[in-house]
Amino acid sequence: MTAPPPTLLLRARELTGRPVVTLDGELIAEIKDVVFERAGGRIAGFTLRNPGLFSRSRKDTVPWNGVHGVGRDALMVTDETVLAPIEELAPRQAARKGDVLDDRVLTDNGRDLGRVVDVVLQSGTGLEVVGYEVEASEALGTAGRRVLIPLPATVAVSGENLIVPAAATEFVAEDLTGFGAAVDAFRARLREG
Amino acid sequence: MLFSAVRKHEVVNITTATRVARVDGFVVCPGPPRVALLRLGRVSGPGTLLAWEDLQGFGPDAVTVADDAAIRPPRDAWEQRAEDKDLEILGKRVLTEHGTELGTVTDVDFDPETGRVTTLITTSEPIEGDRLIGLGGYAAVVSA
Repeated sequence: MTAPPPTLLLRARELTGRPVVTLDGELIAEIKDVVFERAGGRIAGFTLRNPGLFSRSRKDTVPWNGVHGVGRDALMVTDETVLAPIEELAPRQAARKGDVLDDRVLTDNGRDLGRVVDVVLQSGTGLEVVGYEVEASEALGTAGRRVLIPLPATVAVSGENLIVPAAATEFVAEDLTGFGAAVDAFRARLREG
Repeated sequence: MLFSAVRKHEVVNITTATRVARVDGFVVCPGPPRVALLRLGRVSGPGTLLAWEDLQGFGPDAVTVADDAAIRPPRDAWEQRAEDKDLEILGKRVLTEHGTELGTVTDVDFDPETGRVTTLITTSEPIEGDRLIGLGGYAAVVSA
């Protein structure tokens, strides 16, 4: 009954305001923010607010494993039972504030590529962080412009620095079109070593 | 048979041979998708709902019932929402289970013998009725 979903690249910030809808077709919330796991660059889940103009933040969240699907138009969940308290999603205060926005991206050979302004997610069979959008530094030759940097499957994150392999600079893209291919090519290169 | 072709049809009591109501709308429930209720207008009593099981016949020119008592008020919260048009499928946005919108429902094709929903006609593409997995206040959800 279920075909594999099409792969879709999204900027994390675009998800803010997307409706959270059950498979029964009921609107239960809107996405407020994406919560990142500090380690590994994965997504812990989504904080929520009530739908509507005078929306209030909610104390419950959609944890990553409660997501049925994320598309251009909605985040789908099976039902309201997947919602979890915010404490479970982000046990430490550090984690709650621990998104990667504004962090510096450094290559493993010590070049500063710029600061993270957004995170690129790939939704499909899962939801994965596949890249960072950075405001490029001089090191990239497109200083001041926003560019997309592909990520390896796992990322070392420490303090305010995100370390990426130097080869990432060869697969930089300017927009989401073609970025999926850049991520695949970059990861293939890393596997070859 | 399309919803649009049957709307405004008369509901006739075949025992008394009188017109007792008019079809105003349809209430679809998923799993497997079917017409569960008709929503009626120009009724004489307090009720406006007619369950599919209580229909005598669904003909090309009229809907028939054997007893006026088949037309009744809502029995539970879901039927109340149906009467309030909260669950109206026409005009509802269609979302895939992966969160992609596929337009809105403009019409529904169904089997007048069984009430089974065969096709959702939308502003984008026709969708096989069996793909409907949920119908709520916000959206009709279809499998991908």
